[in-house]
Amino acid sequence: MAQPLVKKDDDRDEDADYSPFLGIEKGAVLQEARVFHDPQLDARRCSQVITKLLYLLNQGETLTKVEATEVFFAVTKLFQSKDIGLRRMVYLMIKELSPCADEVIIVTSSLMKDMNSRTDLFRANAIRVLCRITDGTLLTQIERYLKQAIVDKNPVVASAALVSGIHLLQTNPEIVKRWSNEVQEAVQSRAALVQFHALALLHQIRQNDRLAVNKLVASLTKGTVRSPLAQCLLIRYISQVIKESGVNSQAGDRPFYDYLEGCLRHKAEVVIFEAARTITELSNVTTRELTPAITVLQLFLSSSKPVLRFAALRTLNKVAMTHPMAVTNCNIDMESLISDQNRSIATLAITTLLKTGNESSVDRLMKQITNFMSDIADEFKIVVVEAIRSLCLKFPLKYRSLMNFLSNILREEGGFEYKKAIVDSIVILIRDIPDAKESGLLHLCEFIEDCEFTYLSTQILHFLGNEGPKTSDPSKYIRYIYNRVILENATVRASAVSTLAKFGAMVDSLKPRIFVLLRRCVFDNDDEVRDRATLYLNTLGDGSVAETDKDVKEFLFGSLDIPLTNMETSLKNYMQDPTEEPFDINSVPREVKSQPLAEKRAAGKKPAALSTPAAAPTSAADAYERLLSSIPEFASFGKLFKSSTPVELTEAETEYSVNVVKHIYDSHVVFQYNCTNTIPEQLLENVTVIVDASDAEEFSEVGTKPLRSLPYDTPGQTFVAFEKPEGVPAVGKFSNVLRFTVKEVDPSTGEAEDDGVEDEYQLEDFEVVAADYILKVGVSNFKNAWESLGPDGERVDEYGLGPRESLAEAVSTVINLLGMQPCEGTEAVPSNSRSHTCLLSGIYIGNVKVLVRLSFGIDGAKEVAMKLAVRSEDENVSEAIHEIVASGMYKVQTILEEEDQKLKNLRKEMGKDAYEAVGTALMEGNWYSPRGRYPVLVLWNYKEQHSKKEFVT
Amino acid sequence: MLLAVLIANSEGNILVERFNGVPAEERLHWRSFLVKLGADNLRGVKNEELLVANHKSVYIVYTVLGDVSLFVVGKDEYDELALAETIFVITSALKDVCGKPPTERLFLDKYGKICLCLDEIVWKGLLENTDKDRIKRLIRLKPPTDF
Repeated sequence: MAQPLVKKDDDRDEDADYSPFLGIEKGAVLQEARVFHDPQLDARRCSQVITKLLYLLNQGETLTKVEATEVFFAVTKLFQSKDIGLRRMVYLMIKELSPCADEVIIVTSSLMKDMNSRTDLFRANAIRVLCRITDGTLLTQIERYLKQAIVDKNPVVASAALVSGIHLLQTNPEIVKRWSNEVQEAVQSRAALVQFHALALLHQIRQNDRLAVNKLVASLTKGTVRSPLAQCLLIRYISQVIKESGVNSQAGDRPFYDYLEGCLRHKAEVVIFEAARTITELSNVTTRELTPAITVLQLFLSSSKPVLRFAALRTLNKVAMTHPMAVTNCNIDMESLISDQNRSIATLAITTLLKTGNESSVDRLMKQITNFMSDIADEFKIVVVEAIRSLCLKFPLKYRSLMNFLSNILREEGGFEYKKAIVDSIVILIRDIPDAKESGLLHLCEFIEDCEFTYLSTQILHFLGNEGPKTSDPSKYIRYIYNRVILENATVRASAVSTLAKFGAMVDSLKPRIFVLLRRCVFDNDDEVRDRATLYLNTLGDGSVAETDKDVKEFLFGSLDIPLTNMETSLKNYMQDPTEEPFDINSVPREVKSQPLAEKRAAGKKPAALSTPAAAPTSAADAYERLLSSIPEFASFGKLFKSSTPVELTEAETEYSVNVVKHIYDSHVVFQYNCTNTIPEQLLENVTVIVDASDAEEFSEVGTKPLRSLPYDTPGQTFVAFEKPEGVPAVGKFSNVLRFTVKEVDPSTGEAEDDGVEDEYQLEDFEVVAADYILKVGVSNFKNAWESLGPDGERVDEYGLGPRESLAEAVSTVINLLGMQPCEGTEAVPSNSRSHTCLLSGIYIGNVKVLVRLSFGIDGAKEVAMKLAVRSEDENVSEAIHEIVASGMYKVQTILEEEDQKLKNLRKEMGKDAYEAVGTALMEGNWYSPRGRYPVLVLWNYKEQHSKKEFVT
Repeated sequence: MLLAVLIANSEGNILVERFNGVPAEERLHWRSFLVKLGADNLRGVKNEELLVANHKSVYIVYTVLGDVSLFVVGKDEYDELALAETIFVITSALKDVCGKPPTERLFLDKYGKICLCLDEIVWKGLLENTDKDRIKRLIRLKPPTDF
């Protein structure tokens, strides 16, 4: 037993700071550990030494292998002592030392003896120690005892064995799985904790057997669960069972819901919370199911316990993403939490409110947040800034107050990450909300007047150079930029010079004045600044008001179109052989050798605002455009209209992984096949894709660009180009075969054999669809944009989409079909709603602006009807959108178009209306009788009850 | 999994530190993160008043007891409520061992016992015992009374 290591003082306060471990040192303690070898063991002394050792280990001190072995052997001697306290310390010490396998043998016999001891607590501890240090072979020897221990009548012994079982399951699953009968018995134990541990272990043993878990859960919900902890586990397992049992959307008869609801009235808060959270996480949860859970969470919000407040808020925050309306009742409680002592709670409250708040509450909320911002740490502030950014994108009309807020906090003290988050947000808002551009740029200008971060200053200057000249009054930014040249360090000065040059190049009227400023920069004391100024003075012309050359603009605004890694290798090679010739940048290969996996990952991410230079949202497109224009065969195709996201043509983890990016030009399409070879023993050469376009009548192949070599794990691209009628959104299906020469590679040397074998590899088909011809471009204010387009180019029609899984599924199908940008967050459908309006915007091929207003309605039989209103600058385009939807929706349902030649002919001969009428009739035939189409009799008033117009608003 | 139990004195020096399933190279980072969290938020907090934070998918519940501050870190099934349960067991065991909310000195005086208590409460990242009276008996190798 641990005794104070110094004499107890009566007057504690005097030396309260004095630590009993003051000046403790490993060497000295190891010396002291020799007392373990004494023939007459002093139990108290030994305990003290062990305490010191524990203290050292807990402080992060480590023992060398030799020291640990020595201490371990010494400690094993202490098994001779009969002192109970010391024995307990010895158990702990052995666990802490966790000896290696060859040493374990020393203690096993002592521990085995203890395991069969009549003292229960010896048994429990011996089990825990043995399981900690044991390996598989030893485990089979003691398995018998462990099985007995699981059903031991002493709960401590049973728990020890069960918890050991949970740990051993990781290392020796096959052995532990044999204990399931005993564990099953322990689940019925009357000791609360034994039941808890047994339930955890039993579930882990059976987690892959869905039926068994189902049975376990069902039996426990009927029986008694003794500890709140076990009940929490049970609720979690129930949630898993519900998830796996598939969607059972018929309200009211979800399995186990009644049990969960009952748990909301349990006396332990842990259980109530667990049940409430599980209910909120049910898929397709209805408002009726949700209400009781939200009610208890609301009660927790005003609990005196911070942990409960936090937990409830965290859950509500998640609910707010899917069911914002359900959470609005709690808004008042959450608003009071903004001033919560605990900053984590306050931040969560803010971010939840920002999600649930509506347009009218934004201003009030911003006021509250302003008071709160000054006294939280930077990492919390960043969370708030991000929430405000998404709020602003949701309510673009509120940009003024939100932008003001951002600019205010930008002026306050803060670290780099925080400031960067604010600047990023402002940049994103400027980009997505055109109205916010001018004020946003001015806020940024003011910020760089007093910005301590060089990185942010240069990034803002770069951004300003690209956006500033396009504003209505570019001259007002010059002052801020030239101030940088006077006041800042060399890096910022150099960026400012570049920015000035961009203004000069773009705004002809400013050019003479910019020249005056640039000439002053020639006398800067930094050579980079001087060089840049001289360069720009020479490239921008003679300083007169005249249009700048296209080449010069290209030079200023274009980015380096050579992959930096290639540039680096070329320069290294150049440096290696000394030569008189100057370095020729054209000698740098432009092919992207290794396409880092990061690109794939980045595709899913939101583009970071400033970290990617130039305009981030278009950067992927820019990269593609640069890549394609560097290939001479494709250079004549004109401007790239759209590049699709990569479509996978192989299953995951196949020998060769290939995806395709569809690049659309006005009268061409180029397929970029990104290939990766995942076999280290192979080198592929002359890789091409043979495309069969027989199902794409309007396309004809005009060229391919093979990939010369594709080594292991280094992605490469091959291209195939097609011609199509100009400006026509031609669609079709393409089947693909990868053809290549494969060469064996010796893995040890990495060298390939000389002879290769021709081979082919079947890829999956893909289609060029109508959505490929529409660019996703959002508008900030849909209503204004809609009205400005006027009713002349408007086309309205109604569609029956047939039975769908849900309204949300129907909405996302149509959005994907059109490939347009959802506006004002209308792509999210509140679950259980019967109707929904979705707003889309985009640019149709030929640069025609298109706006779409979709109104959906769903009836009890899950039949979805849709009203589609399209406005565009060109009524033919409006017509085309309808055609896409008409053909697309039918295709989605039955692939009528492809399988039915008669229908195709009908369309050709009689036009869209006849085609649709027949199509609808055929579809309706299908819905009524899935086994075959035949006419059925319906009640005379059936049509009235279910008319689609009824729920189209 | 209970990732960590950490006890520090009022100046942020570590008194007890037990990690489970945290790679060695991340421990130092966690230690300084927790100590900073405590320094930022624990001033003026009453004994046993719980504070809570989360960092990515990891939860942290922490409090003060006398001169020492306690932190427990968990993830997955050990969410904030389970951690609150855990820290409650630890504080009540501490009070039991020390007889009152401990000063740093008292804590160090009872260091050995405290280690044993923690050993009974947390077993390699799993909560094992929750009853303070039982823990009190267990660390003296006495069988529990309640069965």
